[in-house]
Amino acid sequence: AAMAPGKKITARIKRTLPVRGPQAPTLSELMRWYCLNTNTHGCRRIVVSRGRLRRFIWILLTLSAVGLILWQCAELLINYYSASVSVTVQFQKLPFPAVTICNINPYKYSAMKDYLSELDKETKKALETFYGFSEGKSKVRRSVDEWNSTASDFFKQIPLLHFEDFSRTATDLRSGRKRKIEGSVFHKDSSIVNSGDSSDIIGFQLCDANNSSECALYTFSSGVNAIQEWYKLHYMNIMAQIPLETKEKLSYSADDLLLTCFFDGLSCDKRHFTRFHHPLHGNCYTFNSGESGTVLSTSTAGSEYGLQVVLYIDEADYNPFLVTSTGAKIIVHDQNEYPFIEDIGTEIETAAATSIGMHFTRSCKLSKPYSDCTETGADIPVENLYNKSYSLQICLHSCFQKAMVDSCGCAQYAQPLPAGAEYCNYKKNPNWMYCYYKLHEKFVKEQLGCQQICKDACSFKEWALTTSIAQWPSAVSEDWMLRVLSWDKGQKINKKLNKTDLANLMVFYKDLNERFISENPANTLVTLLSNFGGQLGLWMSCSVVCVIEIVEVFFIDSLSIVMRRQWQKAKKWWNNRKRDRSGNPAQASDPESQGHDNPACIDEDLPTFNTALRLPLPQGSPLPRTPPPNYSTLRLEAAFTEQLPDTLEVGQH
Amino acid sequence: MNLKKYFIRALHRLQKGPGYTYKELLVWYCDNTNTHGPKRIIKEGPKKKFIWFFLTLLFASLVFWQWGILINTYLSYNVTSSLSIGFKTMKFPAVTVCNANPFKYSEVKHLLKDLDRLIEAALERILQPTPGNSSENVYPPLNMELWHQIPLVLIDEHDKDNPNILDIFESNQPAVGNQTVEGNGTTEEKKYKLAVKLCSHQGSDNCTYRNFSSAAQAVSEWYVLQFTSILAKVPLQDRIRMGYQAEDMILACLYGAEPCNYKNFTQIYHPDHGNCYIFNWGMDEEALNSSNPGAEFGLKLILDISQQDYIPYLSSAAGARLMLHQQKSFPFLKDQGIYAMAGTETSIGVLVDELERMGYPYSDCTVNGSDVPVKNLYSQYNTSYSIQACLRSCFQNHMIETCGCGHYMFPLPEGVNYCNNEDNPGWAYCYSSLRSSIRDRQICIDSCKETCNDTQYKMTISMADWPSEASEDWIFHILSYERDMSTNVTLDRNGIIKLNIYFQEYNYRTISESAATTIVWLLSNLGGQFGFWMGGSVLCLIEFGEIIIDSLWITVIHVISWCKGLKQKRAQVRYPDAPPTVSELVEAHTNLGFQPEDAGTLPRDEALPPEPGTPPPNYDSLRVQPLDVLGPDSDAE
Repeated sequence: AAMAPGKKITARIKRTLPVRGPQAPTLSELMRWYCLNTNTHGCRRIVVSRGRLRRFIWILLTLSAVGLILWQCAELLINYYSASVSVTVQFQKLPFPAVTICNINPYKYSAMKDYLSELDKETKKALETFYGFSEGKSKVRRSVDEWNSTASDFFKQIPLLHFEDFSRTATDLRSGRKRKIEGSVFHKDSSIVNSGDSSDIIGFQLCDANNSSECALYTFSSGVNAIQEWYKLHYMNIMAQIPLETKEKLSYSADDLLLTCFFDGLSCDKRHFTRFHHPLHGNCYTFNSGESGTVLSTSTAGSEYGLQVVLYIDEADYNPFLVTSTGAKIIVHDQNEYPFIEDIGTEIETAAATSIGMHFTRSCKLSKPYSDCTETGADIPVENLYNKSYSLQICLHSCFQKAMVDSCGCAQYAQPLPAGAEYCNYKKNPNWMYCYYKLHEKFVKEQLGCQQICKDACSFKEWALTTSIAQWPSAVSEDWMLRVLSWDKGQKINKKLNKTDLANLMVFYKDLNERFISENPANTLVTLLSNFGGQLGLWMSCSVVCVIEIVEVFFIDSLSIVMRRQWQKAKKWWNNRKRDRSGNPAQASDPESQGHDNPACIDEDLPTFNTALRLPLPQGSPLPRTPPPNYSTLRLEAAFTEQLPDTLEVGQH
Repeated sequence: MNLKKYFIRALHRLQKGPGYTYKELLVWYCDNTNTHGPKRIIKEGPKKKFIWFFLTLLFASLVFWQWGILINTYLSYNVTSSLSIGFKTMKFPAVTVCNANPFKYSEVKHLLKDLDRLIEAALERILQPTPGNSSENVYPPLNMELWHQIPLVLIDEHDKDNPNILDIFESNQPAVGNQTVEGNGTTEEKKYKLAVKLCSHQGSDNCTYRNFSSAAQAVSEWYVLQFTSILAKVPLQDRIRMGYQAEDMILACLYGAEPCNYKNFTQIYHPDHGNCYIFNWGMDEEALNSSNPGAEFGLKLILDISQQDYIPYLSSAAGARLMLHQQKSFPFLKDQGIYAMAGTETSIGVLVDELERMGYPYSDCTVNGSDVPVKNLYSQYNTSYSIQACLRSCFQNHMIETCGCGHYMFPLPEGVNYCNNEDNPGWAYCYSSLRSSIRDRQICIDSCKETCNDTQYKMTISMADWPSEASEDWIFHILSYERDMSTNVTLDRNGIIKLNIYFQEYNYRTISESAATTIVWLLSNLGGQFGFWMGGSVLCLIEFGEIIIDSLWITVIHVISWCKGLKQKRAQVRYPDAPPTVSELVEAHTNLGFQPEDAGTLPRDEALPPEPGTPPPNYDSLRVQPLDVLGPDSDAE
């Protein structure tokens, strides 16, 4: 027959690469075939079982197994991002942490006289007028006129008030005049409890400089707190105007602070300390800051092998209003960490030996998606104002400072300056105190959003401190100790040091065991897959192959069967229409073949003895021979009872 | 017999040749295996066959890759930790209390007389070297021998490049110069430093100067060196006698509601602190349990440290030293001890922080220290192994090796003496070089292992003044009466300490390790992986192994028959004709044309037609497996 070359090619392709659709004609046949031939268990039982009840039970069981698999696998997926904690202890040479030491008093009072004399005079006078005592007999109480004539800027800016009761009238501490109070009242102390004793309430008023009707009132239950807070505000005002170099000179030098130093059995001196200026604590000195490039380490635990320093705390040179306690503050931190001495410092007593035993713990958390922490802080939208590695504290302070610069126009004194900003002082920013207090209020109430933005760091080092105190120097060694230390200080021999000016500090490792707490992913992809496999196998003996089967049978094959049905229907309908028009009946029925004549019964058997040898039939066989058995059992079963015309198409060609 | 049968059978099989070809074997395997992929390769059409073949290969390689990862994970011996916190009845920790000062000065004065006079004179010279003062020497002659063994020297650093070393007792001149510099009141840097001169032998040139930035440090270090040298010669019994006695030190004791006294404490001699007393050490008696949190149920102690009787130059800090530790362990007070200040009440809340670790191969720790290559010198106290004990023993062993004598602060092995100036003149030099040697320390760190069960006592320490001013009077009276039977007050604020040690509300925090990967974990994950990708199990592996064995058999049989074939070929050389094929043989056998010799005599025509008989049955059962018939020739195909 003359065929078009295109047709030829397609026929050839069809012949060499026969494409067969699903072998089942109907969906139910397909399901039956699937159940009989699938690798999963259970399905087969549904088909094979006899009796409706049994079949129903098997259907139920299979379905529940599928449900269980889905449930368990969902659980596995949900729990995939969980972490397990492991604690390892390693005994090794440990890096010694940086130890930052500050005097509690930031600046030498004698050196600060020039800057603070006005403020101190005013404060003393306020104490005198209100509490009726005078410090030192030499001071004669001046008349009110003279008092008014002096430059009392401080009280004009922030008046100290004494509240009679809550009737919104208050006595001005300076003039003694009564005045009406407007604005909201903030309590710095939560002293609402003793409101019955309202005569003790003292506070100060902060007003918006642009709009004087808008005032905030801060009250304290005790005059001590009120005066200190009031003094501190003015103090920060003054300090903000002094350049850093001057401030460093006003504060203590390393020679002033450190009398002796001993580390790991060897003598050390001020060269081992790095100066670091803290706005509220003046000059602080960091031992082992790592700035020289090397970090000291400890290879023996115990108090003899740690850091031992004797500090000189010149108590006589303390600022009486700013700090009311004596001693030093120390903080143990990592070389890369910023020492937040005002927040987490440990106080050191004078005339005592403070022994601080350390225990080192390193922790490491998994970052996203396991937990919400940050590795380097690079993904936090807050600029790190400190020149140190990221920590939550740094982030919060930076965030606040940024908000301060944005809303008040100047930076708060206690935190580093952002680029292009300068510290607040009353001359340039008359409004800053009111602004600062408002903002701080918001910050504490988490309205600034800092607490939401800042995340904790994923890894951190921690030195757990055990602090204990002994009397030092002991009664019998006091004499020679003070004499030798005075000689060390290079002072005149006749001026002996006082033991209340000295503090002995020992910082050492209690043991060299480093505890390392780390989080590990509890599941890896490998274990997740094996758990899937375990679940699939347990309930249905299923595998990925089964999944592919299911996809094949339930989606591809079913779809193509449905499509074919529709196609055939459409074809039939078309043919019917055609036939109706032409009236040509085209009836082709396959003759039913049975038994021996079944064409499917091809003798694929291996040759019998006779056929193999091609034995000639016995000659002249008049006797009727036994016909070959006509057993239907010999018929090879086709996969499906009904062969569809188009599946056989290929064979016919 | 069985074996013989087996071999015969094997031989027969060898002779018979393989039952199948490789292809048949593979097809059979794919059809019958329980793994899910291969069956598909057989059953599907050619296109799908290829896809399934590829998929099966892919899955198999995935399985092997993941198995590799799993086995690696297992072999890394990871651990997971579990944390538990709470309160339970626990053994109350052993409490060691010591005085910060090792001996009563009144008792050791006769030993230290020379030394003290020497240091006083030296200090006098350093601090007030005015000519008038130095001339009026009212002291009896000084024992200069002690001085010459380990001298203190002044280093004049006026000239930075060429420091001048001055002996304190030999010349006055430089010291006067010093005074003039300082007397001027100039704020220039201090130019004199105190140093300890250490020589390997007395009078030898091999000397080092231990520099100190502070004279106070130098004096204490020097004093400690001399003191240990003196004390090293005193026998242990005398040293115990010179220390603080339990009845003098422990004035009152209360454990829970039960009274206790100094007899409940075990005495131990500690080189740093003299006599120490341990409560609840658990050496002879059962350790006490505490089943209630709070100060009411803890240990309450009142101690007297009698500060007036301190050795002035030895310890500058005054107070009690105490430490909480495990039962039957040695208290290392320098490491873990804390101070309690005189005239205060110190309250210590205790949390037991335990870490239980798995031993080898999970982590490198030791259970009882028996596998540590350092001889534990603290075993003479009957105490358990600890890393501190190991490190100190290690140091002492090094010291004995290099210096020939033991250091006074650590226990001695048998047959070795403590170092002292007379017998070992260079010991201080040797000790100080050993102590600062980083290499030696590292050796000790490397050879010691930490214990697997690490118990720490986390303490929350708080202090208050005690006794209060109002109660001071009667408390001192009662305590004085009880101790000295005197109606006068013999105690004072500077000597008396109150201690409360108790469990906190949560008294334990236990971190225990368990293996993250066990063999069960490994097997279930291996099974999971195999099941996930291929639906296989161990039986499938066995099947696979079987197939491999079978194919090996086939190969063996092929090789043998090939060899046979070779032999036959050689044998064929003798016969020019090809050997008859089976069909020829069979034809020959069944050839109807073949007639016996004698039958040939019969005339052909007379031959009777064959009698009609039963035809041979056409049953398949008679069928002969052609392979068996063909035998060795089948390899020719």
